[in-house]
Amino acid sequence: MTSLIYLIRKSIKNNLKELLHKPGKLILYLLLVAMIGGLAFFSNNVQPLPENLAPMFIFRGILFAFITLFVALTIMKSLSSGDVIFGMNDVNFLFVSPISSRKILLYGMMRMTRNSFYASFFILFQSSSLANFGIDFGGIILILAGFMLAMIVMSILSLIIYNLTNSSPKRKRAVKIIAILVYVPLVIYLAVSFFQTNDPIEALYQAIHSPFSSFIPIAGWVTVGVISLLSGEVVTGLLFLGLTLLVGIGLLIFLLLSKTDYYEDALVSTESDFEKRRAIAEGNINSIQSQTTKKKVKIAGTGIGGTGVTALFHKHVREVFRQNRFGFLSFASVMISGGGILAIYLIKDVTAVLQILMWVQIMLIGTGRGLQETYIHYIYLIPESSFQKIIWSNMELIIRVLMETVITFVVGGLLIGAPIFIVLASIIVYTMFSLMLIGINYLFMRYTGADISVGLLITFYYLAVIIIIAPGLVAAIIAGTMIGGMVGTVVGLLILGAWELVAGLICFALSRGVLDYCDMPVMKKA
Amino acid sequence: MIIVNDLTKRYNKLLANDHISLTVNSGELTVLLGPNGAGKSTLIKSICGLLRFKGSVTINGFDNHTADAKRILGYVPEMPALYPMLTVAEHLEFIAKAYRLEHWQEYADQLLTRFDLKDKVNKLGKELSKGMQQKVSVCCAVLPRPKVLIFDEPLVGLDPHGIREIKALIASLKQEGCALIVSTHMIDSVEEDWDTTCIMKSGKIAALCHRSSLGSGKTLEDTYFSIVEQEDQEVPK
Repeated sequence: MTSLIYLIRKSIKNNLKELLHKPGKLILYLLLVAMIGGLAFFSNNVQPLPENLAPMFIFRGILFAFITLFVALTIMKSLSSGDVIFGMNDVNFLFVSPISSRKILLYGMMRMTRNSFYASFFILFQSSSLANFGIDFGGIILILAGFMLAMIVMSILSLIIYNLTNSSPKRKRAVKIIAILVYVPLVIYLAVSFFQTNDPIEALYQAIHSPFSSFIPIAGWVTVGVISLLSGEVVTGLLFLGLTLLVGIGLLIFLLLSKTDYYEDALVSTESDFEKRRAIAEGNINSIQSQTTKKKVKIAGTGIGGTGVTALFHKHVREVFRQNRFGFLSFASVMISGGGILAIYLIKDVTAVLQILMWVQIMLIGTGRGLQETYIHYIYLIPESSFQKIIWSNMELIIRVLMETVITFVVGGLLIGAPIFIVLASIIVYTMFSLMLIGINYLFMRYTGADISVGLLITFYYLAVIIIIAPGLVAAIIAGTMIGGMVGTVVGLLILGAWELVAGLICFALSRGVLDYCDMPVMKKA
Repeated sequence: MIIVNDLTKRYNKLLANDHISLTVNSGELTVLLGPNGAGKSTLIKSICGLLRFKGSVTINGFDNHTADAKRILGYVPEMPALYPMLTVAEHLEFIAKAYRLEHWQEYADQLLTRFDLKDKVNKLGKELSKGMQQKVSVCCAVLPRPKVLIFDEPLVGLDPHGIREIKALIASLKQEGCALIVSTHMIDSVEEDWDTTCIMKSGKIAALCHRSSLGSGKTLEDTYFSIVEQEDQEVPK
């Protein structure tokens, strides 16, 4: 055990030492701490009036859906390779050492707790959204703790599932069936409630508060535990969270007692994770795309159209139609449009959903094939102008964004009977915003080198987006407020859209020749 | 012909390439040797225009960033990077279309046969092993019949047949008048065909040896170790 404590102590010490040698990283951490502190202050002091609070059942539903998503992902992972509890260095050094495998597993759990904290970190930044439900910073910490607990228990379960189902298709099928069966009563209850009430929101409310959701392992337990504690029902809260914790401890004991030789299982997941990370660090885009693509791909049509620079677009068309069931629309597109339509229906406000989708787009814009193309050398070597290569390599993304935005706002707008001009203006703002984001990405590529850290790059990128859009946003708000009413909203949105177009074009102009004068980026770890 | 003039590349505090000048004539094979971290891959990427640097690089008289230079430049990276959703045949078709090549099918067919890829033409990039990917990567680089070809560790991960074919391909390209740069750790793989060897160390050219100036009975490997492991020893003239 002394060696494991030494390992942990030294790792912490060296990480701290590294901060002193990398002031950029230190500043970033300090900024993060300051931001969290600021958010904590505001969320504790600036709360909406009780009559303006959003219904708590919506948050309960979101939390339940979110944990369910993670549970589903973990189960899918555990049926293929198991969750990653150890690093490759642990496998190489600890697994072959004379340290007890039980102690090593406990050490793995400590690593897992740390990783769960990192994965749950984003919750700390949700204070402004959570304030709408009357949740202060203490509540956010509680949500973070509940989410971490769910993730840790799922990691242990993942290892056990892999352990038990490895090389047994029947058992794998059984796990899938059990995972689905657990949710079937909830779905039936939701359907029955809908037919009885004929009101989807009432049906959702009833389903979320029913025992069919509360007693769903992990997702239901943690949700009820957290929500109960937030509502002051301490006994119920502790009961459900305690149940989750007990199950976690029980699973850990099962793992320790039933099969201490878990090395082989852990090795598979660690090695595959290590290989992916290494390939990503070496810029092998294959490894990233392979994770997001179907395993079996039917090759119907073949061939690439176009000549010269247009071949890039035709190549992307061939790729997207082979990769996605809905052509230009990816799985993420379906999720965005579906989520967007549902949000418009629930919130009854197109512009509020537009704001949310714009935030999401900042993160998703990098998934476009044009930007991913810059990680492979071919686009740099094609003997055509840099500008034309950028235009044609991003055509697929522009078409995709247009399709997503038209589907989301037209369908959402029709459902709530939103004015046509608001819908059209929202489509323009979202599309132009995406164009501006592409421009900002190339601008960053043009003026930052391959040696900039990912953390700094992301921070600067977010700051740049905020700074660049700010003038247009201010002008839109002023114009919208001065004119007032629906006309004011439409004019404000059009001003914002026009500014995004101008800002985007300026970014493209400033990043002129980017593919001739930049460092080819590599997919680095944070 | 490749002319590298006073090329310097810096990553933050790390000086990866320090004032490098190098000329590779048409029909000449220059081998880049050096320990890990010597700056070979950085030099290659800079020559191919994939990195920003100080200094200049010309390809047959054209600045390496121009379309004229790119039209006659081929590059085989260390890590083969294929498109997961394109078949082997489509990779070649894409290159042919993007480079506006004419009558390329016959040559593509020859390359696929040469590298044992004929039965893999309908396989997707993501379905290929690393060695297969490397072979496709070589075919893509050679298809536009470039006048300058740069290989970064081309033999890593290849089977014996693949190694033999790449060695033969390099020899034939040299015969046809191509200017070639090959970076490798497998010194014996280029022993037969090399003209100039550029031994790099700590971002600098530690020695530039010409085959004609190599002492009798001395191999390239002897020269390499004499320079890399005994710094003070005089470079053979």
